[in-house]
Parts: sequence; structure tokens; C-alpha cells
Amino acid sequence: MNNPHTLLPSTRREFLRTGARGIGLLAFSRFAPDFLTSTALAGAPPPESDRSILVLIQLAGGNDGLNTLVPYADDHYHRLRPTIGLKTSDVLRIDDHHGLHPSLAPFREMLDAGSLGVVQNVGYPNPNRSHFRSTEIWETASESDDYLPSGWLGRFFDNQCGGTPATAPGATATPSTTPTPSDIPVGIHASNEVPPSFLGENPHNIFGLSRGALRPRHAGAARLVEGLLAAEPAASAGAGADDNLSFLQHTMLDALATEKRIQRVLGGMKPDGAYPGDPFANALRGVAELIAARLPTRVYFVSLGGFDTHGNQLGTHAQLLKQLADGMAAFQKDLTRRGLADQVLTMTFSEFGRRPSENESKGTDHGTAAPLFVMGSRLKAGLHGTAPSLDVGANRDLAFSTDFRRVYATVLDRWLGCDARAVLGASFKPVEFL
Amino acid sequence: MESRTPTLAPAEAWQPLPARDWTPEAARHLLRRTGFSARPELVAQAAAAALPEVVAHLFTPSPPLPEPFALRKLAEEFRAFEAEGRPDSEAERRRRRREFQDKARAAFEDFGIAWLQRAADPKYSAYEKFVLFLQDIFVVAFQKVKNPVLLHAHQQLLREHGTAAYPELCKRVSRSPAMVQYLDLQQSRVEHPNENFARELLELFTLGEGNYSEDDIKEAARAFTGYRQRGGEFAFVRRQHDTGRKTIFGRTGAFDGDGVIDLIFDQPAAGRFLPRELVRFYLTDRPLPDEHLEAFAAQWRRDDYDTGKLLRRFFTSRLFFDPAFRGAMIKSPIHYYLGLVQDLDLDVAPFPRLTLSALRQMGQTFFNPPNVRGWVGGRTWINSTTLAARRQLVEWLFTPLDESKLNGDEMVELVAARADGHARFNVEDATLDSLRAMEPEVAAQTVIDRGFGAAPPAELRAAMAEQFAEAFRGGAGNERARALLGALLLSPHYQLC
Repeated sequence: MNNPHTLLPSTRREFLRTGARGIGLLAFSRFAPDFLTSTALAGAPPPESDRSILVLIQLAGGNDGLNTLVPYADDHYHRLRPTIGLKTSDVLRIDDHHGLHPSLAPFREMLDAGSLGVVQNVGYPNPNRSHFRSTEIWETASESDDYLPSGWLGRFFDNQCGGTPATAPGATATPSTTPTPSDIPVGIHASNEVPPSFLGENPHNIFGLSRGALRPRHAGAARLVEGLLAAEPAASAGAGADDNLSFLQHTMLDALATEKRIQRVLGGMKPDGAYPGDPFANALRGVAELIAARLPTRVYFVSLGGFDTHGNQLGTHAQLLKQLADGMAAFQKDLTRRGLADQVLTMTFSEFGRRPSENESKGTDHGTAAPLFVMGSRLKAGLHGTAPSLDVGANRDLAFSTDFRRVYATVLDRWLGCDARAVLGASFKPVEFL
Repeated sequence: MESRTPTLAPAEAWQPLPARDWTPEAARHLLRRTGFSARPELVAQAAAAALPEVVAHLFTPSPPLPEPFALRKLAEEFRAFEAEGRPDSEAERRRRRREFQDKARAAFEDFGIAWLQRAADPKYSAYEKFVLFLQDIFVVAFQKVKNPVLLHAHQQLLREHGTAAYPELCKRVSRSPAMVQYLDLQQSRVEHPNENFARELLELFTLGEGNYSEDDIKEAARAFTGYRQRGGEFAFVRRQHDTGRKTIFGRTGAFDGDGVIDLIFDQPAAGRFLPRELVRFYLTDRPLPDEHLEAFAAQWRRDDYDTGKLLRRFFTSRLFFDPAFRGAMIKSPIHYYLGLVQDLDLDVAPFPRLTLSALRQMGQTFFNPPNVRGWVGGRTWINSTTLAARRQLVEWLFTPLDESKLNGDEMVELVAARADGHARFNVEDATLDSLRAMEPEVAAQTVIDRGFGAAPPAELRAAMAEQFAEAFRGGAGNERARALLGALLLSPHYQLC
């Protein structure tokens, strides 16, 4: 078991090369056509170092937009929030009306440096105030009353990675760039579950970064697993390629190869004083390492939770925003230092904003629209879109002014180079931050 | 996800399975889906009895899970702590709080182990899995509730009343101290009703999203004001309760909490909710066609929402045994772990550091689902990270325990487990020797019968036999057989049920 030649090969390609037995089994594997043609025989395309990369940051729980981008000059703001409203003297002013939460000092600097944009008052019609439903709407990019089985990035993967065209509403998809070899994850996430945004119509190689999961260990049974997986003939597909059996087979084979690859990059990571030490910043640091290693993965997803601030929110929210801004700023500096900043766009989202009027517990309840941040070296910095009107009664919600799918369309069209219509199923006017 | 149309028409689907179709193969399906494995002796026993009796037996409520020692002690200390009153200094308060939290965590872990040990006992597996199903509906989480005594009581409530009428269960759950705490009823008062419980009651416990309005939630929330948790007991504080008239689902009256739950079960959607969840948890992660679900729901409404009857109808139905659904579900981490324990004749290792963290890494933390919706399940269990964790678990089960790495508490547990004769934590040579005594084809067939949810194709069967032959060749010990068995337990066929 310890002979070097029986160690798990780190890519499917190596697997084919090293195992004469492997190729024999794989010759009748149902995976063979796909990956023999895309990697082993045709040769994998060299990793493109100039690919544009999206890093998506989820603020889970519903971020309080009004205490993030603060309309300090608006009397309504202070009327709606007598106890949790931020003092005019405390906010970090952007202009005569708006300022950032005092925890967001690094964001204030990036605004000046031209690497941060704020899209104001983003939401969607007929807002839903359930965490799950509203997260689902954001992740699937659906109408409020429509249910889509796949996520917006999943449909992007469907388009990018070939295979059957995605069934986005009314869309006809065409693969627009070189397909990613299937032992390279199309998306990498640092969250407990695979983000629903990543789920496509077709299965994709999605990799999850988590603490402890990357410990190198002896891959004893792995070679045998691979052999057994390969012994599955295509004929067993009975229920079709979408059944759980083929899903498991596919995911396992990819996982075995991917894990090795990622381990090689992150295994040697040393502590870095430039990042705060919290798990959120660590996740971003891992992302930076992987990008620097020229992994062809184009989408990363990092989640920061705890934004559901129903009670005594001032301290909690300040802490969360500090974590967010410090982590993101360290990430951006790191990318700049490594000469990668031009390749990466980072964007935040949250399932909803919170109610303009504070509640009786010095917190805020589920609301609707909120600002989101975009960060990168190739964007138009500053405020985008229009601010919400705060002339609302007690317990009423903000009316959104920028549909979140316009933001997605901008990112898809102008950053990821993909036909946004094919992913979103309709045309949305871009927002001019790119 | 699109629905897969069953081969049976809605009217036939819920008819009892004909006796001639109650085969050992069907018994395996039933045991794997209701429990965690299909041990040969239990398959034989079940197949020899009549299906309705088998199902009635499986869903006989199990006895209360005794409170682990640490939990009992915690409950006592908590009472003493409350009786003493608040210490004067802030530092002392903080110290006491931390002390309580540390003890609470330790007791919580003991509770987790005790439950796994209970569920691993084939006598109780089906019912305890059903309790887990209910826990996945009436979600509460340690992370927020923080007091494991309340979680233990919540679980016992579900265990004791799980097969009663569902509206009755909902009413009891609304008074569960853990739930009062978890969904913020504790803070809900007449002037400021907290909507959290009312929202989840409608969305996640009874009707499902889209079957109520935001106003229904606001009004229902008023009816649950005054529900409190005091020292681990439910208390109703009348002066915090809104006795006024409320309008819910278009009906107006001075409803209280129970009244709201009665109103809910007049809604057509209430009849479909639990059946849908049952199908999703036990049968298929693709929704059934509406007509099939509605046929099932209609019968349940006629049975006055009796959950025991619902279970018996479901698990004896033709639809449940439809071959299209067999061997097609992905095992949850708890299912995977307990299935391994049962298939390999192992004991649950009483070491939280190993056992509970293995579950966490596979994505299912005991009593700590990711959010109030519970675990999504199905394909979301599987990604490269959780697969690596499944592999680690299997490797661990094949590795003899290294006692030098155990800490003091763990050694105490180990000694106690040995004294009880429940200290088989890893696969011993005897298991492998028994396979070695077989012809390679028989060894392969044994693994298939015992563990594979779906019959593998001939090619895989042949490859397995070939590997077994190779593993048993010569006198190289069991090293290779161990690796092979490990690989088979990681194979997609074993991960399905």
C-alpha cells in the first residue's frame, strides 16, 4: 500500500497515465468520453492566467443597509432610529448625504483609492421576508413568485463548461469559452454547505474549503475506490444521467483528483500577519493563495454569518462590519501585492436589508432593499444607483431602486464575459460600475 | 427539481402492498429506509412476518432516553444557580456563566453520544430515526438554546408524542421550552409580538411558504404572546398575552395559540405538509406529482391528522415499495455512520472528539442544523469536502484505537465501555476472516446484500470478486482485504440506500 506507484494520482490525467489497469477499466467507464476527450487525448488547455475571477461574499442573515451606508443628513433616518441610529459625527462621510459605518474605515480608503463601489438600494419586486426564500431568490435569480431549480452561478457554469445547455427561463445557451477540465473545480466555496448559487442544471465540480478538511492523509483506499468507480459501465445509468448514483460517481472521482490539487497549494500556507486571524479572513486568504497558484477556477464564494440582528444590534453589527471590511481590505492588498488585482472582482450580497425603523429590542427586523459592495482595481468607484426614500411610516419598508439581477447582469456581461441573458433568462440594464 | 412520475396511478399508489410483493428484497428496502441498515437476521425476521405488523413494530415509540449523568448534574446545578440569585460582581457573573457554558457543552456532547448509542441499537433504530425526522421539522439548535437540558426535553417530547395527531404535536411543541427559547417567544409580549415563531410555524412546521400572508403571521404572532420558558418549564404569562381579536386566514376571533393551530389545520395546505416531508425524508428527494401527494393528504385529513396512521399507510403502501425509488437516496451523515456501525457490528465510540466531530465534518452536527429550516439533505450532503470526511470516517473505523492519544475523560469512558462489553470501535480481523472463508464471488455478494442500496451492474460485481480473490491470495495478512472493504464502504452503491 505504501509503494509510490500505488499512491493516488492527483489528476484524472495522471490517473490515466499511471494506471495501465486504470485505463483498462476506464475504457468502459461512463465518464470516459467526457474526460478522455477533454483532457487526456485532446490535452488540457493551459490554465489561462488572465481569466477574470469573481469572489462572492455572502452576508448571511440580512445586513442592515441603513447602518452600513448611512444617510446621515436625512432627518428621517434619525427619526426612524432614535437609539440605534449612528451619530452624524461618527459616520465616515462620503458626500453631503452619505457616510459609511465607522467600522468600515478600510472601505472609506478604498473609495478614495478607486477600488470600491457601492450599489445603493438593491432589491427586487414583491420582496419576501423569509431568510430562506429570499436567499433562494437571490441565489437562483428568480422572480419573487417563481421557483428555479438552479443557481445563477450554476447556470453560468452550465454555459461555460459545455454539456447540455442550461434551461434558464427562455434561454438558449452557448458555451462561450474553453471548457474547464473536469478535475478542476469550477467553483470553490468556504461555507458549510454548497451554496445554492452554485447548483447548475448539470453537475459541476464544486470544492468546499473547510478547516481540517485539507489535512494530508494516507490515501489508502482511494485508489481502490477509483478503480471501483471506473468499473461502472455506462449501461448502469438506468434512470439517466441525473440520478443520484451517477451524481455520486461523478462527484467522487472529481473530488479525489481535486483534493490533491488544492492540498498542494494550501498545504504549505504559513500564517500571514497582513490578514486578521478570524475564519472569514482566513478563507479569503485561502482564496488569494488559490488564485495566485493559477488555479483556473473562476468563482469563489465566502460566507460571513450573523447579520440577523433582531436585538441589541449596535455592538454586533459594528463587529461584523469590521470583520468584513478588514478581511476584504487585506484580501485586496494581498491581490495587489501579488499583481493579481486586475483579475479579481469581489462582490457582497445579503438576502435582504432590514426595516428602516428600529424595533423595541434595539434591533431591526427583516426588511427589503440594501446596498451591496463591489471591490476591484478595474471598476468605477463610488456610489452607484440611487438612494432609497426614507419617507416611510413606522414598520414600513424601503422600495428598491436597483434590481439585483441588473447587478448580476453587469458582472456576467462585463466581467465574466458571459451572455447574461442566457443565465438570467431576460435582459437587465447593466449598472455602470464596470 | 422535476418530479419523477411513479409508475402507479394516484389511486393505486397508497393501497397496501400485496403480500406476494413482501419479499426479502422489499424487507431490505424497508429496513434501510426506516433504520440505518439491513442486517440479515432482521431481514429474515421481517420477511417472515406480515408487513403491517412489521411497520407497527418499527414505529412503536421507544422509551425515554435516560439523561446522561452530566446532563442530570447540569440540571441540578442550573436550579441551584438560579436559587442562589445573581452574584454581585460582574467578574463573578462572567465566571459563573463561562463555567456553566463549559459544563453545558460537555453535557451536550454526552447527550449526543447517548442518542447515537440508542439509535445504533437495531431495536430502536427506526423510531429514533423518526425522532430525528421530527427534529428536522421542529428544529431547535444548541447554538442558540445553549442549554442541553432543554434540548433533551424537546427530543423527549417528540419521541413521546410523535405518533399522536399532528396538530396536538404542534401545540405541544409551541410549549416546548427549547422552542420558546429558540424562536424568540421568550421575548414576545402583548405590545411587541415577536414574529419568529409564528412565521416558522406556518412556513416550516405546517403549511409551507406561499400558503399564508404576511398579515397572517403578524396576527398569529399576537396569539403566541406570553409563552415563556422558566427554569426549563413552560410558563404562560397572562399579562403578556394579547387577548384581543385577530384575523387569520380571513377568520376573526380572540384566538389563542392553540386556536391558531386549529385554524391552520383547516387550511388545505396543512394536509399536504407532513406527507410531503415524509416523502422527502424517506422516499425520494424529488417531489411527488401533486395528485399523488393530494391522494395521500386526503386520507390523512380523514384520519384527523393521526401521524401513527400516516406512517403505517406510508410504509405499507405500494408506492413506498415502487422499484423506481429503491437504492436511490443518498445516506445522511448520521445514516452513513450508524449504518457502518450496524453493518460492521461495531459500537458507537463514546468519544465526542472523534464521533461527534466526524458527523460535523460530514455536514450534520447533532442538534445543530445550519438554520431553522433544518438539513436540506439529498445531494447537498455530498461535495468534495464531505466526501473526504466520509473517507476519513471509514479509515478511522478500520484503525485500531490508539489509547495513548486518549485524554483522561476518554480513558474513563473507555474503561466503562470495556466493562459493559461495548468497546468494539474498529473492524477486527474476525470480520475480515469471515469474508476470507468465502469464495470471492460469495464475499462480493455478501457485501452487496448487506450494504448496497442498489444492485450493482455485472461489471462491478465481477471487479469486486476479482479484487477479493486478489486480496485473499497468499498469506499477506488482512491488509489488502481491509483496504478493499474500506473502498467498498466508500463506493457510491454503499452511500445509497
